[in-house]
Amino acid sequence: MQNVITEAPVAEFTEVFRTHNGSVFQSDRENCWYIDFVGKLARFDYRSIMKLRKAIYAIDIEALLLNSEITPDLEIVFICACDHCYVLTLLEIIDFKKLLEGTFVMLELNRIIHDRVYRLSV
Amino acid sequence: MKDITRVQCLLSTEVEALLNQQIKKEAQSASAYLAMASWCDSNGFDYSSEYFFKQSEEEREHQLKIFKYVLDMGGTAISPEVTNIQTEFNSFREVFEEALDAEISVTQSLKNIAANCYKEQDYVTIEFLNWFFKEQREEEYKARRALELFDVIGEAGTGRWEIDKHVNDIKYDSEG
Repeated sequence: MQNVITEAPVAEFTEVFRTHNGSVFQSDRENCWYIDFVGKLARFDYRSIMKLRKAIYAIDIEALLLNSEITPDLEIVFICACDHCYVLTLLEIIDFKKLLEGTFVMLELNRIIHDRVYRLSV
Repeated sequence: MKDITRVQCLLSTEVEALLNQQIKKEAQSASAYLAMASWCDSNGFDYSSEYFFKQSEEEREHQLKIFKYVLDMGGTAISPEVTNIQTEFNSFREVFEEALDAEISVTQSLKNIAANCYKEQDYVTIEFLNWFFKEQREEEYKARRALELFDVIGEAGTGRWEIDKHVNDIKYDSEG
């Protein structure tokens, strides 16, 4: 009988950060990130995730909280040259910001590990 | 996990933001100098006007130099919005006072970027900034010397005419 050596499946995605309401995965093969949030899985490359971060960080949450006008607490986050668009409530914006902040801290940590551990070794 | 952000861009988010801020500052300086050139020209100070036109061009070159550096390093360079340019001045002297102030503020801002780069050990950007520090030596020297003409020559009589004539002669040749 032939011996079949089965290799362990290569993990396609690495989880970067997770909160109760969403998670971000990195695909090393595709050089991109997948964001799973508000029931939607969206793919972002380097440029678009940077634009997304800028757009989310630019939302003035305090001003939205203090706004007493009778308007829906909705923000439409649209990123140029990106297929995705988010329509978020105030709570979702706070959650999304938390998710992105955590993600970028993890990516920064990953860079430090690469710099200190791998890039300096001969 | 692959370090995708580093592969895509050499600059950290902070340094990239600071460089974009500097691009804006240089653009603002270029416009401010242009306004000074305009004021000098309409008030009959032809040589000073020429001097400020040249200064404006230099600031624009600085802006583009940083702009291209950000792009070359994989970052996103932002074309700045320039607003609130002072177009009216109370006196000929005030124009030069404003010019020196602007140069001092540019030097300070560059020092701030370098301080951040040292903190992050971004020696690549520091090396890039060194050219600007050398340039600021010249810029501040010229602005200071121009202002000193007001004290050396004096504004009375044909003083301002004399100052205007000498502004373009200021050269900085201690490039060591």
